[in-house]
Amino acid sequence: MYIIKNAFKCIGRSRGRNILIGVIVFVIAVSACIGLSIRQAAESAKSDTLEGLTVTATISFDRQKAMNDIIQNAENDNSSENSGRPSFDRDKFSDFMGESSSLTLDEYKKYAEAKSVKDFYYSISTSFNGNDDFLPVSNDSSSDDEDTSSETESNRGPGGFFQPPEDIRNQMMGAQSDFTVVGYSSEEAMTSFIDGTATIVDGSVFTEGTSDAECIISQELANYNSIAVDDTITLENPNNEDESYEFTVVGIYTDSSSNESSFSIMGATSTDPANSIYTSYAALHTILDASGENSETVTDDTTGREFSTEIKSTLSATYVLSDVDSYNKFTEEVRELGLDESYNVTSSDISSYESSLVPLETLSKLAGYFLIVVLLIGAVILIVLNIFNIRERKYEIGVLTAMGMKKFKVALQFLTEIFVVTIVAVIVGVGVGGVSSVPVTNALLENQVAAESNQFNKIEENFGRPGNMIPNGNMVPNDMPQAQNGRPGNFFDENEVTDYINEIDEAMNLTVVFQMLGIAVLLTIVSGAVSMLFIMRYDPLRILANRD
Amino acid sequence: MAVLSLNNICFSYKDTPVLNDVSYDFERGKMYCIIGKSGAGKTTLLSILSGLAKPKSGSIMYDGRNIKKIDKYKFRSKYIGVIFQSFNLITKFTALENVILSMNIAGYRQQKKRDKALELLKSVGLDENEANRRVLKLSGGQQQRVAIARALSYDAEIILADEPTGNLDSETQNEIMAIFRALADSGKCVILVSHSPEVAAMCDEKYELIKYSKKTKK
Repeated sequence: MYIIKNAFKCIGRSRGRNILIGVIVFVIAVSACIGLSIRQAAESAKSDTLEGLTVTATISFDRQKAMNDIIQNAENDNSSENSGRPSFDRDKFSDFMGESSSLTLDEYKKYAEAKSVKDFYYSISTSFNGNDDFLPVSNDSSSDDEDTSSETESNRGPGGFFQPPEDIRNQMMGAQSDFTVVGYSSEEAMTSFIDGTATIVDGSVFTEGTSDAECIISQELANYNSIAVDDTITLENPNNEDESYEFTVVGIYTDSSSNESSFSIMGATSTDPANSIYTSYAALHTILDASGENSETVTDDTTGREFSTEIKSTLSATYVLSDVDSYNKFTEEVRELGLDESYNVTSSDISSYESSLVPLETLSKLAGYFLIVVLLIGAVILIVLNIFNIRERKYEIGVLTAMGMKKFKVALQFLTEIFVVTIVAVIVGVGVGGVSSVPVTNALLENQVAAESNQFNKIEENFGRPGNMIPNGNMVPNDMPQAQNGRPGNFFDENEVTDYINEIDEAMNLTVVFQMLGIAVLLTIVSGAVSMLFIMRYDPLRILANRD
Repeated sequence: MAVLSLNNICFSYKDTPVLNDVSYDFERGKMYCIIGKSGAGKTTLLSILSGLAKPKSGSIMYDGRNIKKIDKYKFRSKYIGVIFQSFNLITKFTALENVILSMNIAGYRQQKKRDKALELLKSVGLDENEANRRVLKLSGGQQQRVAIARALSYDAEIILADEPTGNLDSETQNEIMAIFRALADSGKCVILVSHSPEVAAMCDEKYELIKYSKKTKK
């Protein structure tokens, strides 16, 4: 007990030295507290986001792998014959893609039987053309009174982007079309209506599962063509203008994403969200069946290539999983259910979740390095200060041990002094660090987000054009599957945008406080250990003799 | 019976012999003076007696027990009170705190340590005001008194004092010697180390050390 009393007396009577040590520990504590808070904030953000995250997964064909396999096979075949680089077998690739790239609805349904799947929905999407009475919304003035699908002469697309000549466009993208029509299997599949991106403003959504040709159209499209609920619209097969289908408009919706990114790519107005028409899967499937039955094979006059007039469609299925663990289970279960290695299971939710954490995680990593440096420098400073302290108090140590105080008790008293000064400085440091950690973290995070964005802007500058970028400067992750919500071509859907975490509300918590206490104990032990070594080494007789 | 006995003590600093075959008995109730010229080994002998230095050979018996078998910290803090030449007080503490500290180190469990410490300081001539002053603010004589009070604080049977009157005026010297005389008369064994013939004259027994450990008993 008297050791503690002595320690407090000594602290009070060597104020200058202890204030100096306290200030140094305080600076270390504030820095460490902010560093730890940043790391804690990153961890909390991760777990909080994960808790509320419903993961959706899609199965997509791994085209890159297929191409690599074809190249590998070609290399093996040619290795013994010649040393030249083998040419890529496009026909083989086309055949392969035709045979294997799309899963059938039955196959999708089979994988939906996996235990980890909470919900399953699918959609089919296709393209249609309009006619003189029903035109797509377009920013291109030349399309106002002409059919946009095939008569655009300008090489400048909407937004001033360069457009290749029409024949090349057609080769690249198939026939240009006016509208995207999506057929949903259920209301769950209509994610934009569930998350509130889209809202019905007149009428209602078609009946779930109906095979009647009912549809809903955007308000922009309705206004553009003066269409009201219960009106009928006619859509043409883009491959055969003699083949048309009638839909009854049962509802008109607004889509907030349409306002933000209402431009089309490469002149295809179907990519404009305003030109999206939604119907039920059953209704669209009936039309596609009819189109298949009436199809014929024709030859393109310009390219000489043969193609079918059947309406092309893309089927996509989404698996809803409760959490990330279920997602990981699902990736294993589908393999057990027979999914070929040529297909990948991906989740845009996880991708966007991981992307959103990039600045915070980068900051967290930097904070970790900063913390190590601060602690190392702090420990060295404290060790040096304590060595000076011990040398200065050598005489006191000599007197105490000559009086019969055991060396370990002397060391314990010195250790107590260091600990008390350290803990007080750490407590004040935690208080100041706790108050300043949120604004400091947010300021650093803002810089980090800006740095990430600047990096993309720099890329854009280097390219001299907008690359695979979205309007606010963020990049769509490479592995993010497009059309995962059943709306193909809508590349810049805001739901797919990397939404960085750029602000935290809380950085400090009990974990940080305990970690700071740990740091205080660690600093005391490190700096105190040196003191103890010196004390144990001192001989009282020699100290007192030298003093005399 | 001797409270402290030196039996054939030899000591040297590296290759230089300082004490050679020193034997002597110290008894309770007497005041001893170890005298000798500078370098004769007086302070070395005091260090050995106080347990701060170990002899090369020979033994020291405390109350019939070899001090090798007694914990050296316990021996220093309980059985022997040392008054160093330069007092060796904790300078950042007050006179009172120095005395209480030595009681604490000795494991003194008395409740009213402060009262006893004040009483001791008063007995050596320091009032409460002086007792609450930091030792650096006291005169040499007052510091000497604090050192004596500290040595007495845990009722040690042997009091060792190295040049206790070295830097004191004759009046203070007489007062300090009177305190030692009173201690000896109360049954303690007081051993003084001094080169002063006046101090030696006030003691009951004298033990003269001659350089290179040649000793004579008077």
